[in-house]
Amino acid sequence: MFDLTTKARTLIRVSGLKMYFPIHAGIFRRHVGDVKAVDDVSFDIYEGETLGLVGESGCGKSTCGRAILRLYDITAGSIQIDGQEIGDLPQSALRKLRPTMQMVFQDPQASLNPRLTVEGIIGEPLLEHTSMSRAERKARVHELMDAVGLNRSFSDRYPHEFSGGQRQRIGIARALALNPKFIVCDEPIAALDVSIQAQVVNLLEDLQKEFGLTYLFISHDLSMVRHIADRVAVMYLGKVVELAPEEALYGEPLHPYTRALLSAVPEPDPDLTIEDRIILKGDVPSPANPPAGCNFCTRCPAVMDICQREDPEFREVQPGRFVACHRYGQSAENKTENENENETAA
Amino acid sequence: MPDGAPKVLDVRNLNTVFRTRTGEVHAVNRVSFDLEKGELLGVVGESGSGKSVTMMSLIRLIPSPPAEIRSGQVLFDGMDLLEVDDDTLRDIRGARIGFVFQDPMTSLNPVFTVGFQLREPLMRHMGMNRREADRRAAELLELVGIPDAARRLRDYPHQFSGGMRQRVMIAIALACDPEVLIADEPTTALDVTIQAQILELVRELRQKLGMAIIWITHDLGVIAGIADRVMVMYGGQVVEEAPVRALFKSPRHPYTRALLETIPHVRGKRAERLEVIEGQPPILGAAPKACPFRDRCAVAVEICGRENPALREVGARHRVACHLADADTGAGSGTGAEPEGAHV
Repeated sequence: MFDLTTKARTLIRVSGLKMYFPIHAGIFRRHVGDVKAVDDVSFDIYEGETLGLVGESGCGKSTCGRAILRLYDITAGSIQIDGQEIGDLPQSALRKLRPTMQMVFQDPQASLNPRLTVEGIIGEPLLEHTSMSRAERKARVHELMDAVGLNRSFSDRYPHEFSGGQRQRIGIARALALNPKFIVCDEPIAALDVSIQAQVVNLLEDLQKEFGLTYLFISHDLSMVRHIADRVAVMYLGKVVELAPEEALYGEPLHPYTRALLSAVPEPDPDLTIEDRIILKGDVPSPANPPAGCNFCTRCPAVMDICQREDPEFREVQPGRFVACHRYGQSAENKTENENENETAA
Repeated sequence: MPDGAPKVLDVRNLNTVFRTRTGEVHAVNRVSFDLEKGELLGVVGESGSGKSVTMMSLIRLIPSPPAEIRSGQVLFDGMDLLEVDDDTLRDIRGARIGFVFQDPMTSLNPVFTVGFQLREPLMRHMGMNRREADRRAAELLELVGIPDAARRLRDYPHQFSGGMRQRVMIAIALACDPEVLIADEPTTALDVTIQAQILELVRELRQKLGMAIIWITHDLGVIAGIADRVMVMYGGQVVEEAPVRALFKSPRHPYTRALLETIPHVRGKRAERLEVIEGQPPILGAAPKACPFRDRCAVAVEICGRENPALREVGARHRVACHLADADTGAGSGTGAEPEGAHV
């Protein structure tokens, strides 16, 4: 497993990333607002680690992953990969960098071209980015199929002939084709059956070890992220609210949202009654119209007055632990004062 | 079984087959189970295990063709639901047996208001007039925790969020006070925090209303939290059935055990590496003559390829379909002489 004590090299540095999608309305298609899918997100990903990115649907986690790979033209912010700034590069220049950064998609059915054979699919990036001969490509495709546990003799079959788990293996082989350093895995197991999920997760772990890969693992499955990730970032309504090493985050979550999220995960143990289960009221607000102050203030069980006025800063409260909450990181007297205020209000 | 509460539903030897261009698919094979008054029966299985087709077969909600219910009995209040005429069945569906489906967006009609869809079963089955139905509809929405219920009756499904829509579905299913509620993956499409809200609601409603529930899911965590009894399906068959505690604490079928080992947890110890069930679930081209799990089973022996094991009792209300269900005590001898229930 990845060792956090040794100062690892930063491979990806995201700072102040914003991805807004404009809303147009009226007959002149006037710009009336923005869906703030990703709103000022900053984090580092170390070489060789897996950063888990969790959150509920619509929180912006997938958009964040896609924005980091510059599948969008980002609204603001900087993205550095291996020291190189790619936030403002034009798509033509990005093309040259594509081999280092790849993606595995959620739906293996939709992300594989149904008219291409497995060999065609896995070989496509090689055709685009290398000058390999046909025979070399075939050899490389076979090598990749071995690596992901697909039988070589299936290389001229079409995606529909495979099961979901096998299709995901094809998608992973394609992502590996150009020897990338960094792979964004966007919900790679969400569409798979329980007994197949473990197969794919183990494969991803094996490949990481073998090829020294760095993953951004996006998922809504908190238990699977706990298993695969070294550090975990929790997103809510376009912002990262907490980021910490896996053990700290699951052992002692700090942000009220992280706590609620973890306590909502049903545990496969009928004897376990979770005494302090937090059931959040209401729904996630629209990212087109987030609340004033802290984004979570409308549902937070520990909300204070300041939360409705000021957006909390995302800051390091313990070494390696970041949280965006007014309950942490302020001076001690301030905090007790606020807590008293909250108690009297309750 | 003489013990326990009275049965509201008794399913015997149900077989459902799909006819496709490439041949038959035996989706449900000799499935038998019962449902007691007021209990929550969890049905667990992967996609293709036959769990949804079984439940849809019960009330003949599967399109036929391609599906064909080959044989079986579904006893409900002295009637066999597979034999009764269509009118009788229509009176039962939605009134005495309610449903909640996985995706609330596709199971609500987008062109009618929520109020209309709630009033429909009330007027159809309960003979209420418009005003009575309106009042009851508002009560139902309130029951499932939708604020400002009377006003929201005039809203259309798209004006509700996913969790709220699922609440509406539950309200419709509960409209006529059903004796049985069949819920097919009702929380699968929802986020965990919303799922927690719905599970909490179901716990409350069970206490208030006391109907029997069949809850279909692939999520063992959900089952552990709400079910009284669990039925595990694999390859169109019931492979294990037990009270919830017995199933999680002393699972007897190799598939159940493997399934419990493959899932990671958010609490407790973190596994270094996930256990894996190799291979894939079978596609059932013919009525199975062997154990459907044999190819993926870690302990399969020769007989598993020859004979499809029948469900048999291994403990108090604990049934398993495995040739080796008795052999796991360690000693290989004299398993037949062991008293039933020794492991529970």
